[in-house]
Amino acid sequence: MSSHLDLRDVSVSFNGFKALNSLNMSVRKGELRCLIGPNGAGKTTALDIICGKVKPSAGTVSFDGTALQDLEEYEIARAGVGRKFQVPSVFRELTVSENLEVARARRTSVLGNLRWNIGNSGREHVERLAELVGLTEQLDRPAAYLSHGQTQWLEIGMLVAQDAELILMDEPTAGMTAQETRKTAELFARLKGKHTLIVVEHDMGFVKAIGDIISVMHMGQMLAEGTAAEVEAHPEVRRAYLGSGGISHA
Amino acid sequence: MPSHVPNSSGLQRLIAQLAPLLIVCAVVFALPVLLNNDFLLNKVARYLVLGILTVSLGLSWGFGGILNLGQAMSFGLGSYAMAMALKLKTVPVHTGASGLPDFMVWNNVQHLPWFWEPFRSLTFAIAAGLIVPALVAAALGWFMFRGRVTGVYVSIITLATMVVINLVIIDQQSYTGGFNGITDLAQLEIFGVAFDAYGRATYYLVASCVLLSLLVAFAFTRTKAGLIVQAIRDHESRVRYFGYDVALYQIFVFALSAAIAGLAGMLYTVVMEFASPTFLGVQLSLSVVVWCAVGGRQSLVGAFLGAVLVAGMQGALSESAAFLETWTLVMGALFVLVVLFLPKGLAGLAQVVLRWIALRRHAAAGGVAQGVGQTEGST
Repeated sequence: MSSHLDLRDVSVSFNGFKALNSLNMSVRKGELRCLIGPNGAGKTTALDIICGKVKPSAGTVSFDGTALQDLEEYEIARAGVGRKFQVPSVFRELTVSENLEVARARRTSVLGNLRWNIGNSGREHVERLAELVGLTEQLDRPAAYLSHGQTQWLEIGMLVAQDAELILMDEPTAGMTAQETRKTAELFARLKGKHTLIVVEHDMGFVKAIGDIISVMHMGQMLAEGTAAEVEAHPEVRRAYLGSGGISHA
Repeated sequence: MPSHVPNSSGLQRLIAQLAPLLIVCAVVFALPVLLNNDFLLNKVARYLVLGILTVSLGLSWGFGGILNLGQAMSFGLGSYAMAMALKLKTVPVHTGASGLPDFMVWNNVQHLPWFWEPFRSLTFAIAAGLIVPALVAAALGWFMFRGRVTGVYVSIITLATMVVINLVIIDQQSYTGGFNGITDLAQLEIFGVAFDAYGRATYYLVASCVLLSLLVAFAFTRTKAGLIVQAIRDHESRVRYFGYDVALYQIFVFALSAAIAGLAGMLYTVVMEFASPTFLGVQLSLSVVVWCAVGGRQSLVGAFLGAVLVAGMQGALSESAAFLETWTLVMGALFVLVVLFLPKGLAGLAQVVLRWIALRRHAAAGGVAQGVGQTEGST
C-alpha cells in the first residue's frame, strides 16, 4: 500500500474554465501536506473534489482504496474525511458547545441520535475540546458572537471533535493574529501523525513551520512537490509566481 | 431516555427550560376552575387545539428551518380520520344501524368504500390520524429534501400539495362529503368516557394533549437529533461534511411535525363536532404561520401562546361590534409590527425582559454585572 489518498487525472471545469486539469496527487498516511499556489491555481477546488462538494468530470479519487468520486458528501465524511472551509462555516445560532457536539458525529443515523444529551461524558469531552482551542469562556455563547479568529478556532475544534482520519484545511489562519497563527501551527504539529492533513495556505511562514512536503499547484495542475527549499528553488515555480515577488510574498 | 446521570448544571438548565412549559400547562389545566362556562370552555379548547397545530409548525419552521405553508394539510387529514370514525358510529337516519353515512345515501353510493371500512375501528382511526399525515409528509419530504429543495420552494410545494388535497376532498363528494365536510358525528368515547364537545372531559383531553405535544416536541429538541436539525437550519450544507444524511433528518422532523398536526386535527373534530375542507384550507394554514411568528417560532411555548392569544383575539374582535369589519386589518397590523420589531416574537421579548430583570437584580446586589450582562465580543 503506497498512498493513503490518491487523486488520478482529476479534471473539472466551470462553464468551460478548467479549474483542474488532469491533477495528480498522492498523500501518505499521517502526513501533513501543504498545498500552495497562485490565486486561481485550483487549490480550493482540489479540496472540494476530495470532500465531494464538487464532482470531477474525469479522474478518480481513492481514499484507503475507497473510490470517493461517486459518493455523496455525507458518505465521504463517514469514510473519514473532514473539511474546514475558507470562509469559517459554523452554526451561528448554536452555542460553541452545541457546535462541538454536532461535530462529534459518533453516530450519524437519526434514530441513533434520538437520545438526550444532558450527560456528563459528552460535556467533559466538549470542555476538553474548548480548552484545546481556547474557547472555554465562550462555551455557552452563540457562535455568532465570536470574533473572526475565534470562529476559525471553533471550526478547527469541530474538526478535532469530528476526529476524521483525513482533515482538509482551507486557509485555517486567515484573519488570525501572529500569536494565534503560532498556536495553530502547534496544534497542527500535534494532529500530524494521528491524522492526515492537507492544508491550503498563503502564509509561507506558517507553511514552513508546519509542512514536510509542499505541493505547488498552477493552472489546475501539479507544478512541483518537495520541501520548502526545493520548491523555492524550482525554476517553474519561480516562473508561476513571476511578478508577485516570488513564493514568499504570494 | 436520558443515557447518563445529568450533572447539576445540566439539570438546572433542563428545569429552567422546562419551567415556562410547565407553568403554561398548569394554567391550562387550572382554567376550568375559574371559567365556569361550558360555551367559553369549548372556545378555549378550540384555541388550545390551534395552539398544538402551531407548536407543530414551530418544530419544523423554527427548529428545522422548513417553512411548511401546508401545515393545515396534516391537520385536515387528522381531522377527517377522526370524523370518519365518528361518522360510522352514528346511526344513519336512512339505512339504520351500521348502514351508510347519510351523505353517501344522498350521493347514491351503494356500498361503503373500501377505505372507509377500517374506520369502524376507533383505534385504527386514531392511529391513522397520526400516521397518515406523517407518511404523506415523509413521502413529500423524500422528494423535496432528497432533491435538495430549500427555502421558498419548500413553502410553494407544501402549499400547492395542500391545495391539491383540499380540491380532491371537495371534488369527491360521495366519499368525503365535499364542501359540507363530514357532519352529524357521534361523540367520541374512549374506555367508557364520553367526550362531549362542551364537556369538561373534552377540555381535559385537549389540555393533556397540549402537555403531551409540548413535551414530545421539547424532548425532541433536546436530543442530539434535535440539535442536528437546528444545525441544518443554520447551515445545511455544513452538516453534510460531518457525515449526517441531512435529508433524513429533515424528513424526520417534517414527519414528526405532521404527526403532531394530525393529533391536533383529530382533537379539532372532537371540539368542533364536524370536519370540513376549510380545516385544510389556505386561510387556516397561513394563519398558523402568523401565530407562530407572533409567538416566536424558535420557542415551542411561544408558538403555542401566540396561537392561543392571537386566535383568541381574532375570535373576540370578529365578534365585537367595533371591529366587526376591520378585525383582519388589526391582525395584519399586528403581524407587520411583530415582523418589524420582534423578529423572535413574544418569546424573544420575554427573554429580553427576563435578562433585563436579572441584570437589574445583579446590579442591585452590588456585583459587577457578569455573565448575562457581558458585552458582546469581549474576551
